Amino acid sequence: MNWVDAFIQGLLLGGLYAQYAIGMALMFGVMRIVNIAHGDLVILLGLIGIAIAALTGAGSGLVALLLVPLGAVIGWLLQRGIPNRVVGADPLPSLIATFGLSIALQNLMLQIWSADPRSMSAASIGTMSVPVGPIYVGVLPAIIFVSAIILTAGLHGLLRHSSFGRALRATAADREAAALSGVDTKGAYALATAIAVAILGLAAVFQAARTSIAPADGGSQLLFAFEAVISGGMGSIWGAFFGVMVLGVAQVVGSRLDPGWGILLGHVVFLVVLAMRPQGLGVSVRGAA
Amino acid sequence: MTGGMITVERQTFSGRIALTVGVILLLTLPSMPFWASSGYIRWAVELSCLIAIAQMWNLLAGYGGMVSVGQQAFIGCGGYALFILAGNLGVNPFLAVPLSVVVPVVVAVPVYYLLQRLDGPYFAIGTWVVAEALRLLISNIAYVKRGSGLSLSVMAQFSPHEREIGLTILSACLLLATVGGTYVLLRSRYGLALTAMRDDPVAASSQGVDVAKMRFFVFLLSAAGTGLAGAVYFMAQLRITPSSGFDPNWSSICIFIVMVAGIGRLEGPMIGALLYFFATRFFGEYGAAYLVGLGTLTLLVALHAPGGIWSVLTGIKDWPWFPVRRILARQ
Amino acid sequence: MPTELASRPCSTPLLGSCRFAKVVLSDGEDISNVPAHKLVRKGLALVPEGRRLFAGMSVEDNLRVALDRASMPVAHEVRWTVGRFFALFPVLAEMRHTDVERLSGGQQQLVAIGRSLMTQPRLLLCDEMSLGLAPKVIREIYDRLPEIRSKGTAIVLVEQDIALAAASADRIYCLLEGRITLTDKASEISREQIAAAYFGVHK
Repeated sequence: MNWVDAFIQGLLLGGLYAQYAIGMALMFGVMRIVNIAHGDLVILLGLIGIAIAALTGAGSGLVALLLVPLGAVIGWLLQRGIPNRVVGADPLPSLIATFGLSIALQNLMLQIWSADPRSMSAASIGTMSVPVGPIYVGVLPAIIFVSAIILTAGLHGLLRHSSFGRALRATAADREAAALSGVDTKGAYALATAIAVAILGLAAVFQAARTSIAPADGGSQLLFAFEAVISGGMGSIWGAFFGVMVLGVAQVVGSRLDPGWGILLGHVVFLVVLAMRPQGLGVSVRGAA
Repeated sequence: MTGGMITVERQTFSGRIALTVGVILLLTLPSMPFWASSGYIRWAVELSCLIAIAQMWNLLAGYGGMVSVGQQAFIGCGGYALFILAGNLGVNPFLAVPLSVVVPVVVAVPVYYLLQRLDGPYFAIGTWVVAEALRLLISNIAYVKRGSGLSLSVMAQFSPHEREIGLTILSACLLLATVGGTYVLLRSRYGLALTAMRDDPVAASSQGVDVAKMRFFVFLLSAAGTGLAGAVYFMAQLRITPSSGFDPNWSSICIFIVMVAGIGRLEGPMIGALLYFFATRFFGEYGAAYLVGLGTLTLLVALHAPGGIWSVLTGIKDWPWFPVRRILARQ
Repeated sequence: MPTELASRPCSTPLLGSCRFAKVVLSDGEDISNVPAHKLVRKGLALVPEGRRLFAGMSVEDNLRVALDRASMPVAHEVRWTVGRFFALFPVLAEMRHTDVERLSGGQQQLVAIGRSLMTQPRLLLCDEMSLGLAPKVIREIYDRLPEIRSKGTAIVLVEQDIALAAASADRIYCLLEGRITLTDKASEISREQIAAAYFGVHK
């Protein structure tokens, strides 16, 4: 096996997963909201995007420009519709609620769109690849990877240095104290969810262009996103980015060793990380103060 | 406070009725092959498994405080253990069912060790990852025919009637072990410890409850019960594959059942299982639309009535079927 | 700027968990139903019991969260800024980038006060500041209060240490079950009177 090639392809795959993981890092890592429907939202946006492209003949770039604000609106509505009590210390209600939402969404999409996988054409970019040294790098995957870096850096900067970022982190740390300091906590969470789902709008276009999407696909990407956020350290956007890169490389290496081992190796790597450093990952630990 | 002895009452009127009804039902179950049609017997077996799995999930989540979306790991382990014991190793299938519990329990030990430090949603996701990893692992092992799965062809040595008798007896035993077992557990001092742990782990621990050990104990019990249900279920199915054995849908079902019907009580999972079972029978033909409704219902209940439908009902009348509280009464 | 409180001023109502019967500011505005995050715009700031700082964030970030949201029109000379705060408490200036969880209890209390000051309050409500702190530390904090007051902020202390309260305040109010049972200038009230009011002897 060409290890360099596997590594590079792993990174590129990680770039695609990162689109899911970055929004997840914001929602789960920072806001501690478990959104099981995260993956299904990508599929929903993707299917809508494909429908728009088919109706209007718009290219994938234009569709992306439409899907991002649409995602923002969906995210904002989602958060506004959830009562305060669900977003709090007890994770169970949000876990169950979004679980129900996920099932409802998946089957709704199934009803409307049927189970066939669909994809979006990315014109010539979709098939182009560029030789980099001894290996070939697909142009679209490279674009996806670069956008993942830009998104990560942007979100990280937003959280660390902007007033909105501070307000959000404060709300996640102590909701009532944040309200006392003048932060509109509900609004902050709504905006953050809007951002997270807006990113998914972009992810949807990338996913539909690079591979294909079908109504039942939501769950498979979701798990990797969670794993990346947990192993990268809760609250850390760059952590989630590196987490997802590790998983991507693990998956490619695994699949090169044996076709059935790809995704399995990803999960195994996550479990190993979990076993070795459960404390140091910043995961909420039982018995800790 | 005038004179009169104070006693501790454990049973209520509704409880006595339910217990009697329960015993009658348990005894009726193995008799079904002699008067019921095969279709209804299949229903009864499936319903028993559903109740057992829901009850075990409820024990884990409502009393152990651990929400798992990966119980299908143990269902698959139990099922595959049965098929290997009976199919590959030649053990009598009906004997193999209780024996196959060993595998899920053995698997549960390292899994718990791996996940024990995690809380809430992190734990839940961890269980999901473990279940998925197991599914993928089994899909790659040649001994169990990878993705194509195994068949329980050894059952052919028994007549359909004999198989039904065996299955109904096993189902009755399953219910006795899981529902009955949980009832006994909760009424014992361990039950008090569990309830204390659920309400406030720190306070419970200060009263001498070994919280870590209890959690481990509950996790193992739940794995065992779930594995047993898996074995019974797949014995009835006669066929198991990685995707059916480790199907994440099992977790969906648990969540529907326990959340809609109420978590942390014994009656909830049973009512929920019944509701889910019959709803699926009647509305299942609508396929995806039915599931949209189910999902939306779960969403609404989780947002507005986190105690489940049963809690709304008991707000009206407190008639526990399986009372596990102790009530102080004056003689 | 005195505030007339018509019911028990436990601070938790401000956190939304229980309700005031009625809260009216001295200029007559009824703020009973104003949501928590808008109260700062009315000039009311609470330093909550137990500090409630934002864990995982630096001292400066904790201050900035409140400063970002400050919308009270305040003259530039008396406006609280991060710089002014650090000038008042130089020790904290050295720790401006430190995670607040690493600070001592007394330092955390100062940061909590600072965070509330950043909202440019007309009235600062300090809830049980002495809880869990060593006497020396409490003394240091209370020594600073006059400086804060001199910048134009009125302070209401909810304090169970009578001696401390009497020494620091201009005016004392004793409340029992929602009623003011005793109030006077601090210099005019004796300990016996406070004890009697506290135990409900004074009716």
